[in-house]
Amino acid sequence: MTISKTEIEKLAKLAKLSFSEEELERFTAEFDEIIAFADTINQSIEGGTEQIRNVGARMVSFDDLRTDEVVPSLPNEKILSNVEGYNGFFSVERSKK
Amino acid sequence: MRTGISELAIRLRNREISAVELTKAYIDAIEKLNPTLNAYVHLTFDTALKAAEKADQMLKEDDAPLLCGIPMALKDNICTDGLTTTCCSKILKGFKPYHDATVWEKLKAHGAVLLGKTNMDEFAMGSTSETSCYGAPLNPRNTNYVTGGSSGGSAAAVCANLAVYSLGSDTGGSIRQPASFCGVVGLKPTYGAVSRYGLIAYGSSLDQIGPLTNSVKDAAIVFDAIKGGDKRDQTSVDYDYGSSLAECLDRDVKGMRIGVAEEFFNGINPEIKSKIEEAIKLFEINGAVIENIRLPALKLALPVYYIIACAEASSNLGRYDGIRYGYRTSFYTSIEDMIVKTRSEGFGDEVKRRIMLGTYVLSSGYYDAYYKKACLIREEINREFDAVFEKCDVLVAPTAPNTAFPLNYKGASPVEMYLSDICTVPVNIAGVPAISVPCGEDARGLPIGMQIIGRRFDEATVLQVAHFYEQIAGKVIGAYEGGAGI
Repeated sequence: MTISKTEIEKLAKLAKLSFSEEELERFTAEFDEIIAFADTINQSIEGGTEQIRNVGARMVSFDDLRTDEVVPSLPNEKILSNVEGYNGFFSVERSKK
Repeated sequence: MRTGISELAIRLRNREISAVELTKAYIDAIEKLNPTLNAYVHLTFDTALKAAEKADQMLKEDDAPLLCGIPMALKDNICTDGLTTTCCSKILKGFKPYHDATVWEKLKAHGAVLLGKTNMDEFAMGSTSETSCYGAPLNPRNTNYVTGGSSGGSAAAVCANLAVYSLGSDTGGSIRQPASFCGVVGLKPTYGAVSRYGLIAYGSSLDQIGPLTNSVKDAAIVFDAIKGGDKRDQTSVDYDYGSSLAECLDRDVKGMRIGVAEEFFNGINPEIKSKIEEAIKLFEINGAVIENIRLPALKLALPVYYIIACAEASSNLGRYDGIRYGYRTSFYTSIEDMIVKTRSEGFGDEVKRRIMLGTYVLSSGYYDAYYKKACLIREEINREFDAVFEKCDVLVAPTAPNTAFPLNYKGASPVEMYLSDICTVPVNIAGVPAISVPCGEDARGLPIGMQIIGRRFDEATVLQVAHFYEQIAGKVIGAYEGGAGI
């Protein structure tokens, strides 16, 4: 299947990415090849695909969950030490005049 | 063979050398060679020397751990409290984690000396380490070639003797393939055997941390130190391995059933195929029973891997928004605009490609056709491995279909590069352990790696077979001259 530039733009919006016109051309061409590659999972395998269709989700055990205990957490100052320009608030450029 | 961890531990205890002297020898070697090799992207010499002084104190006690005072390296996606960790991505520029990964917490308690963080493909996405925002590390065996990836810096550092051992992470072969390209040993443990807490996530159901070393024994020693369950990683398992695996390596292969699946050999470079066949012959001569087995679903392993890994990556990498840490764009008109521009400027092309593929296979209308189907085929691959391991103790296969690529090789499209992961990704899909050990060189003198794959949580057998091979095969690749000279 081929994928259109409009579909790539829609995906980019979902992924919170943007592409220049030139990048978009290149990505669309590459993406066609990547999707064709992903489509190869639709080949049949020896033994048939019937078996695959019948597989249920992996069983999850709920017997071994940890107890919900409050444990010490990291201090706020440390957690926020990587925030650019943090002074008790998250500072961003003014976006509304 | 280079001095192993056990011998260094003896020399440290006998006061033939102190941890500080040993660390200084490695610092000198890094200062000399790293400007060319680019194996390290962040150096931590000040903290290393302090850790070495502390290790020298610990070494005065009789019960100092084996890894005490041994200089080592961590891949740049393993969090170290207060020490820059960037996943070799512009988007994590300057990020200083506020916590230690469990593996680093454990190694620190053993008295490990961290020399620095090693180069890698951006967010561990790649097979050559060339997607690093710091430029590619070079293969110490021939600097015109790549190290492999994504743990390329970790492999190069060990190969060039710029660290005694290093840790890497393996989502689809990222420990084993660079180990193979650089001629070192690389162990990908069973999924869940080692805590992933503090490992910056790529594909959470596939990622696993493991050691890169110069010998199988060293890999066993490091694995002994980092394995174990962790409350902070719900997928980790506190498996009872019994005793130390490093102390149980001596076992021959007499009567052992070694499986060989033709699916691993399709499209393999003939030089590599013949080296693996020689190794299989060697096992057979030494009493192993060779079983020819089939794993038909393996032909679907690559698309299954890329669908699942990219789906998980698109979700995991959603957290990079420029607000809480890392790079933030300078000019924007709204919060949405800031996030989109930050991500578009901060991520490299390969990361964007994988986020886009992941978004596509999880999007409405395609989820069933791709992601759900890939998960179902994953179950089938798991079943095939389970059935094979009822008949066989281990499988033997090539680590990669090729030896190291030339640097800046432009002859392959992204999909052609994905195909080079054919021998390693099935292991991550099934969550089983595997090791890559050197088994020869090609005509250009580039190392070839052999993979030994085992049952879940049976690292013991994998390490024993690899150790046996290492002992009987003798010198299969040339020694690297240089590095710390220790």
